[in-house]
Amino acid sequence: MAKELYFQDINVKDQMPILVKGPVEHMQLVKYAGASGDFNPLHVDPEVGKAVGIGGQIAHGMLVMGFVGQALAGWIPKKYLRKFNVRFVGMTRLDETVTVTGKLTDKKQEGGNNIIRGEVFARDQKEELLIAGSFEAHLPEKK
Amino acid sequence: MADRSKINHEFPPFTYEVERGKMRELVQAIGDDNPIFLDREAAIKEGYKDIPAFPTFATLPMNWSNMLLNIITDLKINFAMVLHGEEGYEYLQEIYPGDVLTGKLRVVSIDEKSGRSGSMDLVKLETIYTNQRNEPVLKANALIVERK
Repeated sequence: MAKELYFQDINVKDQMPILVKGPVEHMQLVKYAGASGDFNPLHVDPEVGKAVGIGGQIAHGMLVMGFVGQALAGWIPKKYLRKFNVRFVGMTRLDETVTVTGKLTDKKQEGGNNIIRGEVFARDQKEELLIAGSFEAHLPEKK
Repeated sequence: MADRSKINHEFPPFTYEVERGKMRELVQAIGDDNPIFLDREAAIKEGYKDIPAFPTFATLPMNWSNMLLNIITDLKINFAMVLHGEEGYEYLQEIYPGDVLTGKLRVVSIDEKSGRSGSMDLVKLETIYTNQRNEPVLKANALIVERK
């Protein structure tokens, strides 16, 4: 869980704690569809993925972004997050395991803010990239 | 092929009421056990007024208001060829249970790109959400890809 985090406590190249999620199961995709409101049949109907030639069911990209969000908010408290951007690079299939990593790339004081920036990645068990992203947060200073 | 005349078009505002149960359902579907997203007391202990919205929460108002489907239809995009290319958020204030959000969505740009797998249209969308006090709370950017 993300407890208090101060600007002094974190440095460039610091690694986000690794988060391993999955294997992604059919039922999780059904639950995510119901929660998010994205009922695209590619994500919930195993037959549709086969029919359109992508070889079966694929996970919602936004679910995998959710995994990255879980890792990020477990490291940097949600209240300090200012930006979170991702690019969807690869498809996540059933039974795949997703590993989320990240690190700090930038730390500076600017305009009265203590700014940190970093990069985040989600990869499958074959090390293939699913998501590449970035974040920015403003942290308090320890007095 | 996405309708170029819609570049810079702003869609009529849509509203979405933030429900505690739906917030928790999202977090549970993702499988996050971070108590600040599930338990009011735990969230208050860490300085929030209530459980804050999960980082990817903005996908709910977009989907449940049917905005994305409306836009895809309105821009004459072929739904079967759509991919989600990018998604990004700028957090301006926390979103809490009971908030009533108003979303204003604008088509920022439509560009054509050719790659190894053929040409595609890249549609950039920006949505600004305000709460019931008219305070901006979140800016969402999405890149929708239409393969041709």
